Parts: sequence; C-alpha cells; structure tokens
Amino acid sequence: MKQETMKQIRVGLLALIFPVMLTGFLFWPLLSLGLQSLLPEQGGSISLSLYKEVLMSKHYLSSFWNTFLLSLLSTLIALLICIPAGIYIEGDEGKDRKLLAVALTIPLSLPGIVIGFFVIITFGLTGVVPKLFEIFTGTRHLAFAYTFYGMLLGYVYFQIPRVVLTIRGAVSNISQDVLDSARTLGASTMQSYWHVILPTLKPSIISAASLSMATGFGAFGTAATLSRGYRVVPLEIATAFTENFQPKLAGAMSIILVLITTLMLFGVNKLADLDKKTRGEGSQ
Amino acid sequence: MSKKSTVKQPKDQIRGIGRLFAWVSATMCLLPLVLVFAVSTSEVWQRGPWAGGFTLKYLAQGWQTISPYAWFSIKLALLVLLLNFIIGIPTSWVLARHRFPGRDLLFSLTNVPIAVPGIAMGLALIITYPLLRRNGSLLVAGHLLYTLPYFIGSLTPQLNQRSVRDVEWVAATLGANFPKRVMYVIFPKIRTSLLAATIMVVTLSMGEFNVSFFLFNPQNKPLPVELYSAYITGRIEVAAAITLCFLCFVVPAAILLERLGGAKVGNV
Repeated sequence: MKQETMKQIRVGLLALIFPVMLTGFLFWPLLSLGLQSLLPEQGGSISLSLYKEVLMSKHYLSSFWNTFLLSLLSTLIALLICIPAGIYIEGDEGKDRKLLAVALTIPLSLPGIVIGFFVIITFGLTGVVPKLFEIFTGTRHLAFAYTFYGMLLGYVYFQIPRVVLTIRGAVSNISQDVLDSARTLGASTMQSYWHVILPTLKPSIISAASLSMATGFGAFGTAATLSRGYRVVPLEIATAFTENFQPKLAGAMSIILVLITTLMLFGVNKLADLDKKTRGEGSQ
Repeated sequence: MSKKSTVKQPKDQIRGIGRLFAWVSATMCLLPLVLVFAVSTSEVWQRGPWAGGFTLKYLAQGWQTISPYAWFSIKLALLVLLLNFIIGIPTSWVLARHRFPGRDLLFSLTNVPIAVPGIAMGLALIITYPLLRRNGSLLVAGHLLYTLPYFIGSLTPQLNQRSVRDVEWVAATLGANFPKRVMYVIFPKIRTSLLAATIMVVTLSMGEFNVSFFLFNPQNKPLPVELYSAYITGRIEVAAAITLCFLCFVVPAAILLERLGGAKVGNV
C-alpha cells in the first residue's frame, strides 16, 4: 500500500515538470500580456479600448485580411501539390521516392528569413528568373519577389513539408482494393481522387490544413524579408513594439493572433473529431 | 504487384500525376540551394552567374562575419538540448508508461507551444520578464518552448511501443532492476529516435528567428538574427555566402533526420 502511494507521488511529480515549465514560460507571460493590453497606453481603468483600436482601424483590419488571404491561398496551393506527391512518395514503386521525400522535408529546418532570401535570389530585381527572361526577350519581367506573389511563394515553400509529412502519415489508409474496384468499375483518375482518395485522407487533410493555416498566420521571418508595403499581423506586432513604442497595442494584437492560431489548431481538430464521432467512423 | 493487372490506366495516372507534382515541388525546394551557391561564388552577381569568375572571397568574408554568432548559436542549441533532455524525457516517460488522471490533458499541453506564433511568444516573454533579457535566459526559455513539443512528440510513441515494453517486461521478470533496464533494454531500443529528436532540437534552435527577434541582446546574437541583418543591409553576394554557411549546418542534419525515420510536424 505504501509502495503504491510512493509510486503515485513519483508519477505525479514527473507529470508536473512540463506543466510547471509551461506555466512559467508561456501561460503566465501570455496572461500578463493580456492583462497589460487591457490597460490603455496613457493609463486609466481597465477597458477593451486597445482591442477596439485594432479592430476598428482600417489599417490593422487590412493586415488581418492580408494574413488570412496569404495563409489560405498558400494552404490551398500546398494541399493541391502535396496530396498527389505524398501518395506517390508513400507508394510501392519508383526508385526516386526516397530522394523526393528528403527534398520535400528540407524546408522544414529552414527559418522563414532564409526562405524569403530564396525568393529574392529567384524572383528579386537581380534574381535568376527575371534575368533569364531578359536574356531571351530583352525586357526584364517577373521580378515579383517583393509583392504579394513573392510572399505567397515563400509561404507555399514553408507549407510544403508540413503538408507532405501530414499527408504521408495517412496514405497507407487508402485501400488498394477499393482503388482497384473503382478502376474496374470504370472510374477515371478524377473520380478516383474525388470518391476514394480524398474521403480517405479527409482527417489528415483537415489537420494539415489547420496546421498550415496556423503556421501562415504566425509566420514572421518570410514576411519580414519580403514585405515592402504588404503588411501582415506579425509584422504589425514587431513594428508596434520596436518602432512605435506601443507595447500594449502589440500585446493586444498578439493576443488576437494567439486566439486565432489556437482556434485553428485545436478547434478545427476538435470539430473533425466530433464529425467523426457523429458519423460513427472514429476507429483509429 | 501491379504486373498481374492488365487494365491499370487510372492507377498509373494517379502515380504519374503524383510523381510529376513531387518532382515539381522537389525542384522548387532544391533549386534555391543551388542558386545560393551560384550567387555566393560569383564575382559580380549583377552581371550573371560566375560573371567575372568564380570566387571564394565572399564565403571567406561571410564566415568571418558570422563565426562568432555561429558559435553562440551552437552553444545555445546545446544548452536547449540539455534542458530538452531534463524536461522532455521524464514527460515522455510518464505519458508513455503511466495511466493517470489528467494524462490526456498533459498530452494536449505538450502541443500547446506549437499553436502560439513565435513572435507572440517572444513578446510575452520580454514584457513579463524584461530583466532576464540581459543574461540571455529569455532566449533559452523561448527556444526551449519552441523545441520541446517536437522532442516529446517523437520520443513518446517510441517509449510506448509494444516491443520495447515487452522486452523490458521480460528483463524485469529476469531480475533486471530499473537502471539496468534503462541501460541495456530501453536505451538501445530508443537510440535512433533519441538521435532523431536531438538533431531536430539542434536544427530547430539553430534556425529559430521569430522567437529570438524580441529576445536577443546585442552581445548575444543568434545566427539567424545576424543573417536577417545581412539580408536587409548587406550585398547580395555576402548575404548568399552567409546563407550558404548556415545551410552547411542545417541541410546535412535535415537529410540525416529523414533517413533516421523522419521529422515530426506539429500534429495536434
């Protein structure tokens, strides 16, 4: 009996290490950031005036819209490319699959700023593509690194490994027999995709999408290197804190951002779980 | 496997499309690495690749600029790794081996830092503990938060594996005590995933920019922060050279990681 209690205490202590660290380094800081953002910069009583300021300002609202648009489009493009690629890599034929798997994982360990620099040397003013264009046609075109499209390209770049790895984990669920049956019943490639592959991959598509949406919302490095006027929320936070000396406004925006990304990651997955349960297919 | 079937058009198309898309995206991922090499070894990039000849002077210059920051980043990564071991191993252990009330909650908690954007994490830390910025401990705290979910996420499933538990149980019935079981059963079994987790923590920490942006102080600048200032102010050849030095650390690690069984993405 005594030994059992000792064991319980030991397990309890081990289980507490991580929550204690998390409270000290994340929950408490976020809470105090949230509390401070309720006090206006000039002093005064507790109010939501900073949040009102952010959500009523045309400037900040457009930054939120830009962030949303970049995250959404980069997620969709990444899904479009990575679902077929993931299926091929996890398949049973092809000698190039190992190489492709490595190539598509490399971006995972690259910081956002390096990815931004990649876009600059490819599509910047002295980038390779505009240069080649000039050699062949005489005029310099496609130098879009510092525009919306350059940022979109950078965002797609860092989404690729996240989506590929999530999709690859689920490809083995696609039943070869069902695919074969679909084929003998005369299904085209598109029909196989639509009726067999996508429904099977749905849970992992949802988690890949929510992960990459959340990553897109929080991306700072790529935007910091590439943005020349196209503002996203993480940039606004950095500017408010370092250039405009408005730490509390930066705090309010950070809290909104954290709420959005947390909702994306945990909320979407909870919804997916609920969906699974109500339709009775949850057995994994 | 597919030799026996004669009508195999749609399946082959699925494979074919997949292969095409995989190659397109792989090219997109790898081409910039080649370009970085070309830019950093060209005398005058403005006039084209290797216009004016091949040169290593930018690489030498780049390495000289960043080596102090590189050493700092390596030291930081090793410290963060040590703390990952101290906090991550016990946490993975209880998650994998014990059933207790609140276990699901603990499991969700280990994924929470993934949901918080680095810039918000950094801001929260600097506003709450402004005095700790000087000695660099905020940087360590930020990197620890950022890496731990991946460390725990790749170690826990391994410790939970049936084969590991079975062999350990056999060893226990044969009279091996806990330290012996750790030494001779558990460690050899999880060595590969421990190595993968180690590589992941070191590369993530060495490339971390978003959390560090608010937390560094001028005496202790991590490598990516210095990279960023090279991008904003420096000559493109030097910036590329510094990037190449950085890639020499990170890309081999990424390849090794994939060969060891793959990275873990934040999967909540």
